[in-house]
Amino acid sequence: MDTAVESSPLRVALVGVPNCGKTALFNRLTGSHQKVANYPGVTVERREGERATADGRGLRVLDLPGTYSLHPTTLDEAITRDVLLGRLAGAQPPELVVCVVDAVHLPIGLRLALEVKRLGLPMVLALNRMDVARRRGVTIDVLKLAGELGVPVIPTVAVRRGGADALIEILQPERWPARTVTAPASHENTAEDAEQMQADLRGLLAVAGYNPPRSNPWIARIDALLLHPFAGLLILLAVLFVMFQAVFSWAAAPMDWIDSGMAALSGYTLEHLPPGPVASLLADGVIAGAGSVLVFLPQIVILFFFILVLEDSGYLPRAAYLLDRLMGSVGLSGRAFIPLLSSHACAIPGIMATRTIPNWRDRLTTIMVAPLMTCSARLPVYGLLIAALIPRSAVGPFNLQGLVLFTLYAAGIVSALLVAFVMKQFAGARQYSPLMLELPDFQWPHAGNLLLGLWERVKIFVSRVGGIILALMIVLWFLSSYPLPPPDATGPAIQYSLAGKLGALLEHVFAPIGFNWQISIALVPGLAAREVAVGALGTVYAMSASGDDVATQLEPVIASTWSLATGCALLAWYVFAPQCLSTLAVVKRETNSWRYPLIMAGYLFALAYIAAFVTFRVVSAWT
Amino acid sequence: MNPANSTDSITSASLVLAELRRGDSAVVIGLADSAAIDAGRGTEDSLIARLRDLGFVPGAHCEVVARMWLGGDPMAVRIGGSTFALRRAEAAAVRVQLSRDVAPATDLASPRTRAAAA
Repeated sequence: MDTAVESSPLRVALVGVPNCGKTALFNRLTGSHQKVANYPGVTVERREGERATADGRGLRVLDLPGTYSLHPTTLDEAITRDVLLGRLAGAQPPELVVCVVDAVHLPIGLRLALEVKRLGLPMVLALNRMDVARRRGVTIDVLKLAGELGVPVIPTVAVRRGGADALIEILQPERWPARTVTAPASHENTAEDAEQMQADLRGLLAVAGYNPPRSNPWIARIDALLLHPFAGLLILLAVLFVMFQAVFSWAAAPMDWIDSGMAALSGYTLEHLPPGPVASLLADGVIAGAGSVLVFLPQIVILFFFILVLEDSGYLPRAAYLLDRLMGSVGLSGRAFIPLLSSHACAIPGIMATRTIPNWRDRLTTIMVAPLMTCSARLPVYGLLIAALIPRSAVGPFNLQGLVLFTLYAAGIVSALLVAFVMKQFAGARQYSPLMLELPDFQWPHAGNLLLGLWERVKIFVSRVGGIILALMIVLWFLSSYPLPPPDATGPAIQYSLAGKLGALLEHVFAPIGFNWQISIALVPGLAAREVAVGALGTVYAMSASGDDVATQLEPVIASTWSLATGCALLAWYVFAPQCLSTLAVVKRETNSWRYPLIMAGYLFALAYIAAFVTFRVVSAWT
Repeated sequence: MNPANSTDSITSASLVLAELRRGDSAVVIGLADSAAIDAGRGTEDSLIARLRDLGFVPGAHCEVVARMWLGGDPMAVRIGGSTFALRRAEAAAVRVQLSRDVAPATDLASPRTRAAAA
């Protein structure tokens, strides 16, 4: 071993079954010194963190995806195996494995530990959740277990401050001198092999004097209610209702602050910089562009807060259980439910949330249909068009405008189910993908882990705003501003720009679905984000007002100059059209390829065109 | 396939987990040698092997905690102190014997006694 290797941090990998508290222990070990990225070439999240040690060498801790076994059935689990076996290209195998075992559910975790131990890597067993285990009457003789297993066994309570001190103590690099580990061979997966493993496991449990936990009658009763086919679904609906209310009502105030803050910043920039392209780029491109995405941050924070609470408490797998059959009939997994729900606020967090779906095919289907959910950015456009074109008449006990809005939401959901169904047919004879989902014990979410989780999501979102989204915004600003209109121009400036010329070209394409040249031009900047189209329409119709006033001023113009067919066609267009480059950028990032965002844009544009065409023709014939 | 008939049987007839009703306790006898869920899969990523890794091994006690509508698919099964949601196809691969056919339902053998027996 050369000195360079000696002085680099000790590579430690955390392994454990799902829900064993591995991530909490990882947070305890590394604090906020974490990096989240993807493994090269795949979309599995790679979490790595650092920790300083007394001897100065430090630890580099890798949180491997949870798995029940080293015989993977999903991509995540395959990563865990490949990292441990040193098979993953570009990743060195760990120098030390910390196998995290939930003391409450000792058998299942210890079985994995036995499997990991066979690989021959230096190993420590962290016996986590010891406090809960004691409360529930579990007995484990730690010393005997360590003796029989032949590795150090360290009790931990990952969620308590200082609960991992003993583990940290033993992780000092000098205790683990570098030793040459021959690449361990994967063992067979025969029934005999598994039976031998089970026999070893039984022996270990007997030696350790393991006594299983008492079942809590209250928990059992609550679970029976939550998993009840009827009551369980009602409770799920109530939970969702509260979540939706929160996303839309709690977020309203902070969204206004961000909006006005960005507007003030943009105004300040224009005031204090000499007028010209630089000021315009900063104010209208950078600040307005970033602002139009940042404004969704409060919704995303609240949404992820709920998702993380539901996940940490153990409710999310139960929701997947309740909906599995329903969603399975169109080829979606029950686990697709939360991402699709999130997409009603914004497809970006929705697509990010698909990471909880272990099966790649299920995940891809979910990502592909997520933009069909009616996101909140569509609301300004829907609101404007419905107010301008749909009469406020009553249909039975309902308001016609409300019915149209409901129809648009329903159209999104129904088309998502149809697209998923079609994708299922195209996938052909696909492998059966299992549910086999653990319904973990309920527990109170841990505030520290919640905050870390939220912080991580916010960081991903904001860094994206800072990167690709902002770049796209600037490109669009350029397209809408240049070339400058000639001095004797009579029309709005955007008409003379590249975006305007593009819009004029697009008019030929859009004429069959009833869009006039104003709409065609507005759709170009509207590519950045759907709601931008409202402002762009305002620009095209040479409105001087800004913000909400645009809609107020636009309403009568649209009502008097557009036909009902044109308006309905535009609404139908908006149900499908991928008018959101940010979403496509996220899809690119999450799938690690340009292929899927391109397929998504293609199929959504095709659906949008067909839907708008049919709507335009039908409404034209009917009126 | 009618669970009611099987529960009444005096002989310790072998059932599959998918046939049990909510509240039934059973002992795992074994796993199917091959099953529909493993179609197209090798021994490396076998789902049958996964069920074994989750604790569905001969001698393990399990209990059906909940079943959904429409043929009880999926179902929630408690085994080895953990609860798993299984689809019908997955539960069909687990051969079981109702607990009352082998021993009193109260005899939830601890691993210690199981180990002693083994």
